[in-house]
Amino acid sequence: MIREILAAFTGLSTTLTSMLDKPVTIQYPEEKRPVRPRFRGRHILHRYENGLEKCIGCALCAAACPADAIFVEAAENTDAERYSPGERYASTYQINLLRCIYCGYCEDACPTEAITLGLSYEVSFAGRDKAVYTKDMLLEPAGPQGKSTPQQTPAGVYTRSVPVMENPAD
Amino acid sequence: MVTIYIDGKPYQVDAGQNLLHICLSMGINLPYFCWHPAMGSVGACRQCAVKQFRDENDTRGRLVMACMTPAVEGLRISVQDPQAVEFRASIIEWLMENHPHDCPVCDEGGECHLQDMTVMTGHTYRHYRWKKRTFRNQNLGPFINHEMNRCIQCYRCVRFYRGFAGGRDFDAFSNHNTVYFGRKTDGVLESEFSGNLVEVCPTGVFTDKTFRKHYTRKWDLQTAPSVCVNCSLGCNTTPGERYGQLRRIRNRYNFNVNGYFLCDRGRYGYEFVNSDRRIRQARLRRNREAAFESVAPDEGLQRIKEIVKKSGRTIGIGSPRASLESNFALRTLVGPEHFFSGATVKDHELVTEAIKILRDIPSSMASLHEVETSDAALVLGEDVNNVAPMAAYALRQSVRCKPQAISQKLKISDWDDTAAREAVQDQKGPLYLATIADTRLDDMATRTFHASPQEIARLGFAVAHQISPTAPQPENLDSAALELSKMIAQDLKDAESPVVVSGCSLEEKSILYAAANVVQALRSIGKPARLFLTLPESNSLGLELLEPGSLNQAFAIAREDNVEAAIILENDLYRRSNPALLEAFFKSIPSVIVLDSLDNPTAQKADVLLPAATFAESDGTLVNNESRAQRYFQVFVPQDDIKESWVWLRAIGDALGQEEPGARKTFDGLIADMVKELPFLAPVQEISPASGFRIAGAKIPRQPHRYSGRTSMHANVSVHEPQPPQDPDSPLSFSMEGFLAEPPIEQPPASLIPEFWAPGWNSIQSLNKFQEEVSGPLIGGDPGKRIILPPDPEQAAYFDEIPEPFASRAGELLLAPLYAIYGSEELSIHTPGEAQLTPPLRLEINPRDAQQFNLTGETVLQVSVDSQVFELPLHISASIPEGTAGMICGLPEMPYVALPAWGKVTPKPVNSSTENPG
Repeated sequence: MIREILAAFTGLSTTLTSMLDKPVTIQYPEEKRPVRPRFRGRHILHRYENGLEKCIGCALCAAACPADAIFVEAAENTDAERYSPGERYASTYQINLLRCIYCGYCEDACPTEAITLGLSYEVSFAGRDKAVYTKDMLLEPAGPQGKSTPQQTPAGVYTRSVPVMENPAD
Repeated sequence: MVTIYIDGKPYQVDAGQNLLHICLSMGINLPYFCWHPAMGSVGACRQCAVKQFRDENDTRGRLVMACMTPAVEGLRISVQDPQAVEFRASIIEWLMENHPHDCPVCDEGGECHLQDMTVMTGHTYRHYRWKKRTFRNQNLGPFINHEMNRCIQCYRCVRFYRGFAGGRDFDAFSNHNTVYFGRKTDGVLESEFSGNLVEVCPTGVFTDKTFRKHYTRKWDLQTAPSVCVNCSLGCNTTPGERYGQLRRIRNRYNFNVNGYFLCDRGRYGYEFVNSDRRIRQARLRRNREAAFESVAPDEGLQRIKEIVKKSGRTIGIGSPRASLESNFALRTLVGPEHFFSGATVKDHELVTEAIKILRDIPSSMASLHEVETSDAALVLGEDVNNVAPMAAYALRQSVRCKPQAISQKLKISDWDDTAAREAVQDQKGPLYLATIADTRLDDMATRTFHASPQEIARLGFAVAHQISPTAPQPENLDSAALELSKMIAQDLKDAESPVVVSGCSLEEKSILYAAANVVQALRSIGKPARLFLTLPESNSLGLELLEPGSLNQAFAIAREDNVEAAIILENDLYRRSNPALLEAFFKSIPSVIVLDSLDNPTAQKADVLLPAATFAESDGTLVNNESRAQRYFQVFVPQDDIKESWVWLRAIGDALGQEEPGARKTFDGLIADMVKELPFLAPVQEISPASGFRIAGAKIPRQPHRYSGRTSMHANVSVHEPQPPQDPDSPLSFSMEGFLAEPPIEQPPASLIPEFWAPGWNSIQSLNKFQEEVSGPLIGGDPGKRIILPPDPEQAAYFDEIPEPFASRAGELLLAPLYAIYGSEELSIHTPGEAQLTPPLRLEINPRDAQQFNLTGETVLQVSVDSQVFELPLHISASIPEGTAGMICGLPEMPYVALPAWGKVTPKPVNSSTENPG
């Protein structure tokens, strides 16, 4: 009998202690919860430091996509109008975020680490047509040392079909 | 047949055949590189190693190369043996040592034989971690991209280019680790078969440069079985589309027709489909002076209805480049008596004559494959390299047939390519070329004969007479020609399966008769001789089988019978007739209705212009030069208001309230009607299953199962995914969904295979899964059926219309037509690369004639034929016979002139204005 009453108090004490704790709810959207470093959110298309796009338009992300949500059209770079250091660049890059299942296969397939799934999880739309992210929405802005694309580049510098890269660090 | 044991299982196989051929034919996967089904074995790459055992007690065995080991009774091999497996993986690792890891950007990626073979051997991690060998790449012209770093030194390219295609400007250089395949210097590859390097190369050294301009991944291409429209041979192709644009053409194997290869005109001549000059909307104008305005299709049809209703008579002009169905739909719309051939008057006569000849001897019509395997050939008049390039390829192979006796005597198998070639050395089988001027086949010829069209015909008649004295004999043949005719006759008589190649390109009927006589003569002495006739265009035969009137009759009717309207089907009449005649014709007809895909001078004359679909956007049947009806399927649904011609014509019929016999509403119904009306066309109905055909209840998808971007590619139009277009006309669907072929277990009939693919075989080499036997017919029979069928009628009489000997005329030259592979054909010229390789306008004249006319080097000539006058630069060429002049016909800048014709040639007056020719 006494044991049961004690048990009830133990339970109540947990409740009472929690009442004094800081609440776990946060005031979204004023406040935002940090996500884990390997969280898979909305995609980002990256650039090199000099501002050239990492994407070489190979469309392997599109091939890997189980939802067929990525559409890539490639075009050829020229030194007068260069987007990426490779032979080709993505002239069209579209992701239908309503179809995307955030599996990250595109990231895995990418040979130049051009596409990553970012930390942004705020993907809601007022209309379905807003859910299709085009290249300019996905592409990150050029960094402080870089110029935006297209760039005019000297001849004979970008001769490789796949840009030189370090081995992935992680 | 012998019994061999592969991994303990007995197989019945052909004795003497190599083990690689056998393994692939039996469905056993065995990796290979240097071997090619059309090029035999050389045993260079060591990739197909298997273990051979002495007898059933032998457990150690030894490694042998499957491609170099013939099958003998009781042979025991193991493909799965661990040592063999390890050996093959180590070979791949070795080959991959210098191969860059650039698959993501390589154009070959996804259809790469090297990728497939690497996966097949199980090799994954390379130990090599040093710098790879690099090369400088060459610019090989507008068709081929060169990326030598990817080379694995299989030597297939140089073997094909030099040994099979007969090119001279491509070779292997250097040695050891730096073997280089290319030209001595940068430059356009000369061979007209260079495009095959793309498919012959097992990796991405040679890739399609036109495809590169609008590159897309192989697995993103929507494909359908198709037929080439750029000459009369009807090679089978696989066009690929993505996002409303035709991206490229690849070869589609057909044992009887093109086999493994295509010519460059066919492979690259597709870009007119994407041309800016496409007609995309219906256009109307109030009168001939007014400008066109684009209208909705219904408005166009309404106008046509008004025109045709009020008119007493409407005539229809068909087209040798439109499908049989479209031509038939026009014929039904206007009535057979008002249906006219859209071919030139001469071509109309010649093809009609060719049909008669073929009907006399249907059992001796040669297919392209039969030309390739014949052991003696006589070419009468045709410059095959420029008129029907794949026939030149076939003839090149034919000269290798007779000397095979030498290697066979040494017990060398035919598939043992290097050994057989070493044994044969430079020996060639008989090939006689009687042409106007030099051809690119001359290096293979036993003898060449350059003469005027009449003299070529006379030589043919003389050969026939030499073979069988009952054949008529040409009078007054000069002694050189007589001597040559005896030599040719002897070689043809000695051959086991001789072939005579001729055709319509010299516009000379008697050449056809001469060719027929030679074949008849050979058959009368019991030789199974064959006749191969090339025709002007992709559906010349199909059009003439519908028995249309000639273009001149159309003009006459228009002049005399107050015709109100003319419907011109996919035809630029300015390529078919004298401009003056055409102006008069258009003037005499109040309403001209034109259906075409590209804007051209005829379309400019239209009062109503309807946008017609090209081959890639329509279903239809083309009848090739040996009367083989072949179906091509719509690859993609065109944008805008473009429709298939037969759909437009049917809609016009509907608008007129024409009584529709049968169910002509559908493609199947149209064919059924056609067969009902012209029963001899029955094979057309049998060449491919009807639209209701399903496998396991499903249609056959045009898109591969890996097709990407489906849910976002149309997002710029609407985010709501549209329903895939429906295809009521064929058993194929515009979708990824449907029956997934799993060769060799289950696959669609050969005529319906949109693309050759098998699990683990992503490259074109997957073909071995679809063939009854490697390099044999496709499983279930090759697509296409001949319309003109055996049995032969009674032996037909010899033709005796022998032309008079050629006599030169004072002050005049006989202008004979020459052809250019790029330029003489109407559609392929819209490919920028082909336009770039088009020869300049010129008149080729023999040096002696030039001397006689006082013409030198850089002169521009004034040429007058009948009432037409042209200005052409002079080109002195020793190979043009005296008294004649060669003129490349069909070039876009040249107005039509009926050749051969006598023309006056004078140097252009110095102060004359530089008006346009004509």
